[in-house]
Amino acid sequence: MKRLFTLLFLSMLGTGLAQTTINGMVSDTKGNPIPGANVYLEGTYDGGSTNEGGAFAFVTTETGEQTLVISMIGYESHMEIGDVSYLKNLQIKLVEAINQLNGVTLSAGTFEAGDNSKVSVLKPLDIVTTAGAAGDFVAALQTLPGTTTVNEDGRLFVRGGAAGETQVFVDGLRVFQPFNATANNIPTRGRFSPFLFKGITFSTGGYSAEYGQALSSVLLLNSVDVPDQEKTEINVMSVGGGLGHTEIWGDQSLSFNTQYINLAPYEALIPSTQGIRWNSPFESISGETVFRSKGEKSMLKLYANFNHSNLDIDQENINFDDFVRFQLTNNNLYFNTSYKYFFENEWTLSTGTSISWDTNDINVFDTAIEAQEAAAHVKLKLKKSFSNRWDINFGAELFQTDYEETVLTPDQMEFQNGFDDQLFAGFLESDIFFSNHLAMKVGARIENASVIGDFTVSPRVSLAYKTSEKGQFSLAYGDFYQNPLNEILRYDQGLISEKTSHYIFNYQYQNNGKTFRAEAYYKDYDHLVKFNTELPEFNSQFTNAGFGYATGLDVFWRDNKSIKNLDYWLSYSYLDTARDFRNFRESATPNFAPAHNFSLVTKYWVDSLKSQVGLSYQYASGRPYDNPNTPEFLAEKTKPFNNLSLNWAYLIDQQKILYFSVNNVLGFNNINNYQYANTPNANGIFERQTIRPPADSFFFVGFFWTISTDGRSNQLDNL
Amino acid sequence: MKNTVLILVAIFSLGLYAQSDYEKGMQKAFQLWEAEKTVYASNLFERIAAAEDDNWLPYYYVAQVNTFASFGEKDGKTLSNQLEKAKMFLDIAKRLSPNNPELLIQEAMINTAWIAFDGATYGMTLSPKNAKLYTKALQLAPDNPRVILSKAEWDMGSARYFGKDISPYCKDVKRALELFATFKSDIAFYPSWGKERAEEVLASCGDNE
Repeated sequence: MKRLFTLLFLSMLGTGLAQTTINGMVSDTKGNPIPGANVYLEGTYDGGSTNEGGAFAFVTTETGEQTLVISMIGYESHMEIGDVSYLKNLQIKLVEAINQLNGVTLSAGTFEAGDNSKVSVLKPLDIVTTAGAAGDFVAALQTLPGTTTVNEDGRLFVRGGAAGETQVFVDGLRVFQPFNATANNIPTRGRFSPFLFKGITFSTGGYSAEYGQALSSVLLLNSVDVPDQEKTEINVMSVGGGLGHTEIWGDQSLSFNTQYINLAPYEALIPSTQGIRWNSPFESISGETVFRSKGEKSMLKLYANFNHSNLDIDQENINFDDFVRFQLTNNNLYFNTSYKYFFENEWTLSTGTSISWDTNDINVFDTAIEAQEAAAHVKLKLKKSFSNRWDINFGAELFQTDYEETVLTPDQMEFQNGFDDQLFAGFLESDIFFSNHLAMKVGARIENASVIGDFTVSPRVSLAYKTSEKGQFSLAYGDFYQNPLNEILRYDQGLISEKTSHYIFNYQYQNNGKTFRAEAYYKDYDHLVKFNTELPEFNSQFTNAGFGYATGLDVFWRDNKSIKNLDYWLSYSYLDTARDFRNFRESATPNFAPAHNFSLVTKYWVDSLKSQVGLSYQYASGRPYDNPNTPEFLAEKTKPFNNLSLNWAYLIDQQKILYFSVNNVLGFNNINNYQYANTPNANGIFERQTIRPPADSFFFVGFFWTISTDGRSNQLDNL
Repeated sequence: MKNTVLILVAIFSLGLYAQSDYEKGMQKAFQLWEAEKTVYASNLFERIAAAEDDNWLPYYYVAQVNTFASFGEKDGKTLSNQLEKAKMFLDIAKRLSPNNPELLIQEAMINTAWIAFDGATYGMTLSPKNAKLYTKALQLAPDNPRVILSKAEWDMGSARYFGKDISPYCKDVKRALELFATFKSDIAFYPSWGKERAEEVLASCGDNE
């Protein structure tokens, strides 16, 4: 009885209330109906979805002013505020939301190795598993277009630029000595382990105003914020061993890694014989530690790295009957502290400091050279996002460099040189997404270097236009300035900055695991430093009279879908460059700039063997060298460079990996360069010797063992 | 007197009216979901979430509907839209109900959907995240059958691959199945999935159970 009463009452109540019908149409900006959009009055249960034709209609008992919300996946939510009686026959147009994964990206000049990033063409793991790279992330980057193969150096040579034109940044802060110290013709390696980083951006030109002091290229490494789990990593290699551990307490974590490398056992087994004799092969001990603390709205990271290395080598030299002895001891200490804070109103503050102390003790020709560099970088950056279509970045930074060198000659003469520099820089940049099809980055950078008293302004612009679902065009322009190198500044501080301008045109196509990129560029060099001696010396005459250009085409193709379990990428770079710099007597193509570079990297997962087999092939056309027996300058070319490398990673179980690699498996006899005698022989001919790699091939065996709490992870997790 | 009764009834029934809006809405949304009207179901859960802005359940179901819809989705744009929406609603649910094991395993499910779509891209970064989520969920709720089932199924995948013994995980699934019989929550519309899945997984164990 009571129930009946209630029901009656309810139905009365229902009819008693005024009902209003809300209806309308939802379409995109082009007028195409959007089915499945959610339409409702905010804070009530009254609402509905649009039908196939984009129409909606629902009844409400609400009265007065209400907010009608229209939301749809992939579109920005829309609100209509008004009296319910007016919410009739509405025509709603939804604007497409800016989509990270499918929208336009500012990609001219950049290669990203991130995880969720769309412009990602390489992933951190790709770097470790590239045959021939042997875990060196820089060697893996050398398989990308825009780089040239300079086998005996190991550093990055980008688009006709010398190695010193590339700068490396960790979490936005400069790394002053990113490479291990080494002897001439003995390739170096990057100091950092690729596993510390969650994202790697390699820009071959036209990069952001946030970065400067690099004429050609920047390599940006972003470290991991929160490690996923506690684990211990042990590795035993044919060239040494390492131990690492990560400990996590809530939002704080501490990781450390130590590594010991000694080439002596390897050299005892397979000696390097081509033009060298090791007295004491390369030996290094390094340790790094990272502390991370994540707050509700902040992130703090403290990173420290210490590296000690030494080598003692005798090298063949055409100007001497005997081999020339070279001894090197390097100590490097590096700190990097970064702090990020996210404010309520879409402001983000990033600040940090990096400090390095680097000492080199060198003994050559009975001369002792002691070089010390203390350097620091302090940076403050603010970012404000006005919407997901528009943000602004600006900041200021200071670079401090203090360089000192003492030379003690065999007759006990002592020379000292060095310099101090404070470089101030400021930058302002804005990203504007006009739509999912058109985006622009525009900014400028100012720099003032105290040592040379030079003030520079560099504009940077890049534009991207998406032509279809899968393809886009990009354009970039920028001016880039860099102080003369330390080896010059220590003798002469009356110079100005060297300069390049980059003009880049890029086309990119991405479709379901396939990436195609083609990039054409022109680089104009100006104010390059020249000097009138073989090498920069205290009595050299220095000028900024050098100049040059580099132009070319870079092509990249990657496909990891067409053939099951096969991932491969192809890079081709064409480079046309000439410059007049250093002690060049005229404009010419330098030795580090072969015209054609080609790389093929393949990785094949053999499920039945639980193995990844990798094969890389690298080709570079002949490199120019100067033959003093001819009147032409730098006019002859070495024979082309060829290298086929192979690697095999075998997963013994979830936590143990056996890794085997061979560099230059076919034993190509590569020639890096020729060294000519300083004086002609009795017949008036300058004799020469061939500079070849110390050994044609290199073998590597490693065993990697990860012990983690969940017993699952390893370095090749889920390949 | 009669008036007082009437007023009391009115107040009482209005209360019922408000509550049944939630119940009716949720029931309707589940019906739509069962009828595979995924978009309508998601929209309705979303409307309920907007109206009941301190209840984690409708947010949880928006995340779940969109995650389930993503399994087998081949179009990257649709998939990323759905999974980003799922993650957005899950994040709100986690704020409303911190340290909720049901939400942790739902988050792992979103990650699994990404991995299923493109293992080469997402496997390396998201797999350890899942391992962490399952470990934490199990610490919070050692007797929740959905947590036990999800973790066991996840671990079983790689054990199978490496030809390792899967029987410990099968034992866990069996235990989950037993717990499904007794698992009760006094919260209406509390997650209840998993029993059928546990039976399927256990069947795949064969003699290993």
